[in-house]
Amino acid sequence: MSTHDVPETFSIPVGPLHVALEEPMYFKIDVKGETVSHIDINAGHAHRGIEYLTTKRTMYQNVVLTERICSLCSNSHPQTFAMAAEKIAGIEVPERGIYLRTVADEMKRVTSHLFNVALLVHLVGYETYFMHMMQVREIGQDMLESIFGNRQDIGAMCIGGVRYDLDDKSIAYIKGALDKIEAETKDIIKTFKTNGSILRRTKGVGVLTHADAITCGVVGPVARASGIDYDVRREAPYAAYDRLPLVVHSLTDGDVWSRAMVRLEEILTSIDLLRVCLRDLPGGPVNINDRPDIPPGQAVTRSEAPRGEVIYYLRTNDTPQPERVKWRVPTFMNWDSLRFMLQDAKVADVAMIVNSIDPCLSCTER
Amino acid sequence: MSRLPQDLEARLTAAAPAGIEYSADTDQYGVTVAWLGLASAADLSPVAALLKELGARLSMITCTQPSAPEEEEEDEDEESEDGEEKAEAAPKETPKTFGGTPLDGTSYEIDYHFDIAGDALTIIAYVPQGGSIASLTPLFRNADWHEREMMELYAVKVTDHPDPRRLFLDASVDGAVLERLIPFSTLVNAASTKGLWERLTAAGKKGAA
Repeated sequence: MSTHDVPETFSIPVGPLHVALEEPMYFKIDVKGETVSHIDINAGHAHRGIEYLTTKRTMYQNVVLTERICSLCSNSHPQTFAMAAEKIAGIEVPERGIYLRTVADEMKRVTSHLFNVALLVHLVGYETYFMHMMQVREIGQDMLESIFGNRQDIGAMCIGGVRYDLDDKSIAYIKGALDKIEAETKDIIKTFKTNGSILRRTKGVGVLTHADAITCGVVGPVARASGIDYDVRREAPYAAYDRLPLVVHSLTDGDVWSRAMVRLEEILTSIDLLRVCLRDLPGGPVNINDRPDIPPGQAVTRSEAPRGEVIYYLRTNDTPQPERVKWRVPTFMNWDSLRFMLQDAKVADVAMIVNSIDPCLSCTER
Repeated sequence: MSRLPQDLEARLTAAAPAGIEYSADTDQYGVTVAWLGLASAADLSPVAALLKELGARLSMITCTQPSAPEEEEEDEDEESEDGEEKAEAAPKETPKTFGGTPLDGTSYEIDYHFDIAGDALTIIAYVPQGGSIASLTPLFRNADWHEREMMELYAVKVTDHPDPRRLFLDASVDGAVLERLIPFSTLVNAASTKGLWERLTAAGKKGAA
């Protein structure tokens, strides 16, 4: 019992623009001393009305528009949208296109995961290692730029296949880049398992229990770090994932460290998948080389973006514009779990815990 | 091949006494996508409870206003709460869903997309203009944000929602934004630096005075 006559709790704002937050989200945090007792999440700082815009553009324009929803999973949006259109129209993507889709997907996953874990190290306060990790990620970004001509919105997808092709020279270049990233990632994993600074800040912090993870319906690495062994690539395969040696990584502690670890292990798996894709890359066309009208219909398609399950609902009618496009990104599901992770956390850990769900606001609010 | 239970359709029929429309197809990867139309939106909660029992995860909720079939003229004079009986009593010009909700371009179709061990099941419920639907939050906590977003994009009401505040749109914006035509210049108002600057300076002057 405190003898001082001071209020028990204080309310502090974190965000929407805050030095330690990467995204404009507003958290109203009630603290008791150094401990978080309650949080309120206030969204809406990056709402752009893209859902409305999709119904004003044609199906083919929307492939370009959906890529602009997010930068880190910019490949997953047009891919899932195109999958929905292909399902309605009964379009079969050529084999080479299917493999090249997987290649683009996994390359983006490698750089996205490296980015998130690097930011975690930055929030831990280990700036030298943050810069080193961003340097490693830069190998991946250079790879994207060399193959696609862009570092973020790679423009790889189209309805009926992909818009890029690989030759022997570019395949050899990708393999060389992957070798470098793989060696570095193995080093990073070793550091994450042994470095005292990282372990002390991240182990047992921001825990999401298995039961809470199921209640919140979280997806992606956040779910897998809390023991939910679910990956769309394995559970509902698309592209070439049904014939690749996919390993799904899951851990049980549900803390910040586990979420980072799942991402790091997934980078190695992505590199393995990329090597198999490049080895088995079939010949033939990369797309259907046609722009057929998409008939009226509806479809639900899903894919595993770096942050987890992306789901698209598409309804078309007789016009070139879709009647309704709706999608839900993994982060939309994961925000709510922060209420559990931040409960009784230390104020100093708030930014780090928020970062550990790999939040993407432009995706969430569209 | 499907991971949905063999007797799913029978169990869903039992859970929804007003009637269902069920279809499913499995793609070349062995992934099943099933669609379940409900004749009455009142059956949503019992059906969702059954899915929860089966370990389903709510993945997304889509609200949409299906446009009226083209051969029919727009007919907006009636809003029937209980369409099924009315449809039998006095057939109207307006086309209806199999459950009797008028398809005049003003009714809402609400799709609840579930994941069951990798297979997808979508429950489709129809709500007439001015109608409401029960919140799924007692069964699925993560319906919260989806329903809040639905309430700000459309004039559809969700009953018993624990936190029916705006989600993304500011309270100063009129509701049902997807039901109105909003000129692009209005939509991107904040993106115009000049307009934003003028508004802020005007507000600043007012504050200083």
